[in-house]
Amino acid sequence: MFEGLNASLTGVLGGIAWGPWLAAGFLLLLGILLGSLAARTAGRLVESRISRHHQVMMRRLVFYLVFLIFAMAALREAGFSLQVVLGAAGILTVALGFASQTSASNIISGLFLVMEKPFEIGDVIEADATIGEVVAIDLLSVKLRTPDNLYVRIPNETLIKTRVINRSRFPIRRIDLVIGIAYAEDVERVKELLLSLAEANAVCLEEPKPFVLVTGFGASSVDLQFSFWVVKEEFLEGRGTMMIAVKKALDEAGIEIPFPHTSVYAGSHSAPFRIQLVDSEHPQDKD
Amino acid sequence: MTDATESQRDGVWAHQYQLASGQTQRHQLGQVRVWVTLLDMEWQVRHEALPADADPLTWHEVVDHCLPSSDRQLQRFIRSSNDQNLVRYLPAMAPLPTVIRPYQPLTIPADGQCVLYVGTTLWMQICAGPKGDVLTELPLAALSKTWLGANTMAGELCYASATYGRLALEAVPKRPWRAVTPVTIVNRREKPLVLERFNLPTPLLSLHRNAEGQLWTPGVSVECETDLSSASLRVEPSVIPAAGRCELVAPAREKMARGGRLVRAFDHIFG
Repeated sequence: MFEGLNASLTGVLGGIAWGPWLAAGFLLLLGILLGSLAARTAGRLVESRISRHHQVMMRRLVFYLVFLIFAMAALREAGFSLQVVLGAAGILTVALGFASQTSASNIISGLFLVMEKPFEIGDVIEADATIGEVVAIDLLSVKLRTPDNLYVRIPNETLIKTRVINRSRFPIRRIDLVIGIAYAEDVERVKELLLSLAEANAVCLEEPKPFVLVTGFGASSVDLQFSFWVVKEEFLEGRGTMMIAVKKALDEAGIEIPFPHTSVYAGSHSAPFRIQLVDSEHPQDKD
Repeated sequence: MTDATESQRDGVWAHQYQLASGQTQRHQLGQVRVWVTLLDMEWQVRHEALPADADPLTWHEVVDHCLPSSDRQLQRFIRSSNDQNLVRYLPAMAPLPTVIRPYQPLTIPADGQCVLYVGTTLWMQICAGPKGDVLTELPLAALSKTWLGANTMAGELCYASATYGRLALEAVPKRPWRAVTPVTIVNRREKPLVLERFNLPTPLLSLHRNAEGQLWTPGVSVECETDLSSASLRVEPSVIPAAGRCELVAPAREKMARGGRLVRAFDHIFG
């Protein structure tokens, strides 16, 4: 039985013309090699003139172009007619479309992302409740590096469907601090104090001008919004140093930052509550 | 070359100082205090900011063996074998453009022109060795930044000038840590130009020193075209005659495009 199997296997293997297949394999390998070489060279040539995002896109384009040419040559070498392959590809696409809807949708979303360019490699974005720096924009997904150094993969489809906030598109950003002060304090004086802090802080931009708004009368405080502009790279430093400076300045000026107070009031016609201090060891009756 | 002494004297830009190993050169210039120490294997640079309202008139320089207390910011640099114990201090203009303002908005009538003189803060480059390898550089006053542009999307990040532009040259305070630039603004338009702020391209300006030791930059002239959206800016090839005979001390940080003329959007020059 084994001899029979062996003989038929030898017959099948011997029947295949290995030459064209080997040539096709060699062409594919050569395509990968030359493609990556050409991509690297193209990337290096334009490195100083274009952004990192465009450089990556260009490298990828050059690679796929070179690889495609070699893949077509390999198919021809293996004996496939290109017309037949393209015709089969049409039928295959329908079949694949049903089988791999998610991947196809991600690929198409990826193309739209590249065309629309809502963000570039190196930008800090907020998407799908994740904040991070874009480290790669690939065929199926976008990869982020979060501030706590996690690697997050977000499918392209999600990015097309959800709201994406690009935090580094514009060079400057506004910081809004909400500050509550006691009702007894002079709002004008606090406003002047806050604006002088913005003037003294080196991180705050002179223009657009900083401003202070009264946003509401809260349950236990007058709420102020203190807004100032910083360079995007100094956002965290600006926020941190200003919070400390505000607390320090308000403390020094004797301005109270209140915590929630609750006044129990029994109405104008009712008598005040009777309060009696009791000794903890000899409790007396109390109202 | 100067011998190290323990007496206080005035510092000089671009002068070769020679230190002995273990010596510290202390400078008080502008709103900073700088200590440069030479050790057997390294250069050490410490600096400290002075209150922003200080406006010192002179540059004090002392060489001794005293080091400041350890809380100053310290930078260390490995010495090259052929630095011959030499150190030199070169002035440099701000690396970003600087926004200057007249004391109050100034109206330039149609077809009129005005010259504003402005003093801008310098950076100190600490250079070691006969070739002058730059160890580090630091601004001589605390400068705040500002945004200049039509809106918060399109514009340019600049330094905000701490002093106002003056119409009279005599009114400009001359300090060893500031350079004087004359800015000529020509209004070719048919309506008056209200000058509230002006974007001085400081990285394009070279520094020149006159016989009194004052630093000057070549003049800058801006011509507002009849077309409302653009203005052309030109850096003169030399300093104005009022500066006297000058020698080049430091080249500009950036080279200007060929022709020495820059056409820019009106919003990028006047905000």
